[in-house]
Amino acid sequence: MTTLPAVSELLALERVTVSLGRQSFGPFTLSIRPGEQVAILGPSGAGKSTLLKLLARELMPTSGQAHFDQRPLSDWSLADLSRRRAILPQSHEVAFGLPVELVIGLGRVARTYDSNLNSIVQQAAGQACAMHLLGRRFDTLSGGEKARVHMARVFAQLWDAEQGLLLVDEPLAALDPGLQFELMDAINTFASRRGHAILAILHDINQALQGFERLILIKHGKLVGDYQTSHVSLSLLEALYGVCLVCATTDEGELIVAPSLKRNVPA
Amino acid sequence: MARTICGLPQQFASQPAWLLSLLLLLGIWAATAMGAVTVTWQDWLAVLQSSDQPLSGSAYVLWHLRLPRILFAVLIGATLALSGALAQGLFRNPLADPGLLGVTSGAACAAALTIVLLASSGIDVPVALRYWLLPTTAFAGAVAVCFILDTVARWLTADSIAGLLLAGIALNALAAAVIGLCTYLATDEQLRTLSFWTLGSLAGANWTLVGALLATLMLAFWALKQLTHTMNALALGEAAAAHVGVDVRALRVRVIMLVALLSGFAVAWCGMIGFIGLVAPHIVRLLVGPDQRRLAPLAMLVGAMLLLLADTAARTVAIPAEIPVGIFTALLGAPFFLVLLARMRRGV
Repeated sequence: MTTLPAVSELLALERVTVSLGRQSFGPFTLSIRPGEQVAILGPSGAGKSTLLKLLARELMPTSGQAHFDQRPLSDWSLADLSRRRAILPQSHEVAFGLPVELVIGLGRVARTYDSNLNSIVQQAAGQACAMHLLGRRFDTLSGGEKARVHMARVFAQLWDAEQGLLLVDEPLAALDPGLQFELMDAINTFASRRGHAILAILHDINQALQGFERLILIKHGKLVGDYQTSHVSLSLLEALYGVCLVCATTDEGELIVAPSLKRNVPA
Repeated sequence: MARTICGLPQQFASQPAWLLSLLLLLGIWAATAMGAVTVTWQDWLAVLQSSDQPLSGSAYVLWHLRLPRILFAVLIGATLALSGALAQGLFRNPLADPGLLGVTSGAACAAALTIVLLASSGIDVPVALRYWLLPTTAFAGAVAVCFILDTVARWLTADSIAGLLLAGIALNALAAAVIGLCTYLATDEQLRTLSFWTLGSLAGANWTLVGALLATLMLAFWALKQLTHTMNALALGEAAAAHVGVDVRALRVRVIMLVALLSGFAVAWCGMIGFIGLVAPHIVRLLVGPDQRRLAPLAMLVGAMLLLLADTAARTVAIPAEIPVGIFTALLGAPFFLVLLARMRRGV
């Protein structure tokens, strides 16, 4: 638990705590390796978003150390950091009704000389299934279309980076299942081609079990578990959410979990 | 907000800067011909030829009164429009006008305090410094209001324009109270100078002011070049702007200083002229869209034209009397603001 960040680690938190008003979170100790796909699970208000903000350098730790690519996170300039890690937010608005291609291009605003901007915007839009939205105003788009544009913006930001980090804050929660699948697939394809690690806050347990190799469990502002997905047991998840879960196996051998409404919550 | 571009000729959408500049030059030329004294082409010749002998009659009017007045209106219009465009980008809202938010009244308040306190303290300021004394104090007043607004905007929910405008009302009322107190304490002579602020007038124009304003505006334009693209990122919200690599805090401070500089100087030299900063950027957004890189320079051209129009009307409607130009801009701008409010309500 107390070892210094090893060479292979992309991101490392060492007993990091943060206080927001009367609430305190942590200590968090964890590390992410390049190319890893990690899901953060936990009940609402457990501190998942706070952890993500710490990793995004939106919040500064009250104590402890955070390293990104062997350097203290606080030593990185915002511009340098933006070339290695991107954040896909929960759906949110853009003021003034900017055109879609400008919003996507803003992913690369920190680069002073960017000769390939137009072609990268086009390719990023293509990868995020947002090609048909180019030329429209952002404020005229539907929720699903806005999510695609933000995804394309994030893709453009890390288009020519390698071994970067993609932080994802349950961006798909409000979308229909078909679109969720399509967009999650786009994120995975984009990240795995470039060796980017993905760290995603998720509400859908099945999405986490099927698409991610590692699960981090957060409850009451503390890290309560850090497992390879194959080692996670049903009882761990039941304890995490305080509900009973039932599971079924598909013909392909995939595990599907759902909350049981009939059984009592375990003590 | 309404659609962009569609319905306009394609050339206009791609080359608006040239067309607007041409229109502005035509406007300046037309405005020189209008006024109480008739100016002919002989007067232009006299102005261009005479290097040492003093001008007489209508040539004097053209060179020493009308031309500086017109250029002053153009430059002040550009200044007000630019500060409006920047404030709107900073607060992420098309209704954030320095006048409505209390920035201009903060500047006027500081200037009024300077006039009254300086006179009663008996300090004699050299004439050369007087041009810069009021702008400096007005700038300080504008900076103070901007930082108060910025803090209040953070207390209130992230994108609440209602909260921002309410804070603007409070600051406007406070500034009005202080200006009122100054009016109460002022001597007759100071009173005349003070009433100039509450109405707004370009009658103080002269070549020195035109030069000083041009220098200020060029400085601001130079600073703008480095700001506009990163200002687009502010539209994503502060957190996301930081995520894409923009140093939001530094950017905010620079934009605030620029807004305060522009509105402070405009207030110090010609009083409170409202609504140009609201109307001009909005017209440009309808023409070419909200990209700050095009919005800011084009808003300057449109603002210049609007104030030239309003000031020419102010000079010529009731010859030989002159109506304060602030009355004209408010007559045009206030209904425009109500229309904008109605559209915002539908949109948000």
